[in-house]
Amino acid sequence: MDAEISWSIPADSAELAGVRARLRAILGSAGFDDKAVGEVLLAVDERLSNIIRHAYAGRREGRIDLKVFFQPHQARISVRDYGERFNPLKAPLPQLPPTQPGGLGNFLTRALMDEVHYDETCTDGNLLHLIKYLKNKKPAA
Amino acid sequence: MKISERKNGEVVVFELAGELDFHTSPELREKMQAVSQKPGHRMIVNLKKVSYIDSSGLATFVEALQKAKRSGGKLVLTDLAVSVKSVFEIAKLDKVFTLAASETEALSMTAA
Repeated sequence: MDAEISWSIPADSAELAGVRARLRAILGSAGFDDKAVGEVLLAVDERLSNIIRHAYAGRREGRIDLKVFFQPHQARISVRDYGERFNPLKAPLPQLPPTQPGGLGNFLTRALMDEVHYDETCTDGNLLHLIKYLKNKKPAA
Repeated sequence: MKISERKNGEVVVFELAGELDFHTSPELREKMQAVSQKPGHRMIVNLKKVSYIDSSGLATFVEALQKAKRSGGKLVLTDLAVSVKSVFEIAKLDKVFTLAASETEALSMTAA
């Protein structure tokens, strides 16, 4: 059965641990194993950190909306902000291992999820959809 | 994130507990930088009680490693949990850092 959970947070790095704890509980109860949960937590955390650092440039009054949408074979986490527009999927990936500190966050978000989509129709900020398949099985088309 | 700092001879040992992320890594960065300023410094970071690390945590260690290399110092990370080590592996940083299985091993590595 499809289900949806949504909430909002201020663009404050102090919120990150709380989001991870909530996501861990939500995904664990939905049947995702520890490895998959860890990957989603890190991918979402990196996206949120990127928004706080770049889209809002440290302005804590900014808002971030999170939506977790479950379908039978996958979870989709949508992260919406109202800051400066930037498509992370168009950013070049870093050389690995990195020789300079920084630049790994966007790579981790993309590497740890099964699908990542940037919604170009969202014109007042950014909307990124992060998808993880249950037990790493892509749902039938 | 709890950060404790002690000395074992000439080696500075940081023992961390908690989650290392964009919010908590600046404090660690500041403390490690204070040690990194000394030429030829030797530093161990014990990650036994760290349950989570993100790219900000990785960046903190990459920066400290660069400073150690430039100043003839040494940095050894020890006791990484599987979940933490896997993040180093994804970024291929497990081949860049000196990783020890125990603090005793880390101490011998800083002496080498």
